Amino acid sequence: MNLFRSEEHARRWELFRPESEEGFIALPELTGFFGTETRQHMLDPDYLSRWYPRRAAERREYLTRIGKASPFWLGTPAPSA
Amino acid sequence: MSAPGASTPTPEVLDRMWSRIMRTLIDTGRPPHHAELAHPLGVSVAESRALLRAVLQAYPIGWLHPETDYIASFPPLNGLPTQYRIAVRGEEKWFAQCGFEATSATWLFPGETVRINAACLDCGDPTTVEMRDGRLMRVDPPTVVGHLNYGFGPSRGQPAHL
Repeated sequence: MNLFRSEEHARRWELFRPESEEGFIALPELTGFFGTETRQHMLDPDYLSRWYPRRAAERREYLTRIGKASPFWLGTPAPSA
Repeated sequence: MSAPGASTPTPEVLDRMWSRIMRTLIDTGRPPHHAELAHPLGVSVAESRALLRAVLQAYPIGWLHPETDYIASFPPLNGLPTQYRIAVRGEEKWFAQCGFEATSATWLFPGETVRINAACLDCGDPTTVEMRDGRLMRVDPPTVVGHLNYGFGPSRGQPAHL
């Protein structure tokens, strides 16, 4: 899960996997993805018990909203798996 | 702490442990050792070690360095240096777990400009992202992009930089 200077830089990276072409995410979408509501409560004293358990569902909802509801992004098995 | 004779820590004590770890990371740039947390939490060192392991069971996106009790990663921050250096108020003393988590560090420093400095894995040239309270303030170069090399599911167990 990296930041690159551009998509071209990512593709030139020696460890870039061609299967990860769908793994690009624009910075505004990425900051939204990692800035959903639960993330905004990391300083709350009950973050672990109250907020962290909601994170997975929130991430799925956000990924769906930005059109990344694929097994690759959702962490679910690919249909062929 | 757990009730006397009980082996499962309460959610409240796990919350306190989690918050202590994160607060130490924020204040010092490094994760604490569980022995340091024993007195503040009012538990023995052995209980503190057990609590640390319980916290990481509840928060499995963080991890210990293999075969140790040392906190290697406690996202969004990292104990082990990564290429994702975080600077606040001109002080660069934090590391993010990965490029994605780096964009979440802004929520640990409310009201502050948080700068992410990273060397590009392709060319080594600098990549800079500045955020404040979740908003992007500056991106250099403007073409900076996030990339997931393994899908989230299959990526489990892969090195964090992938």
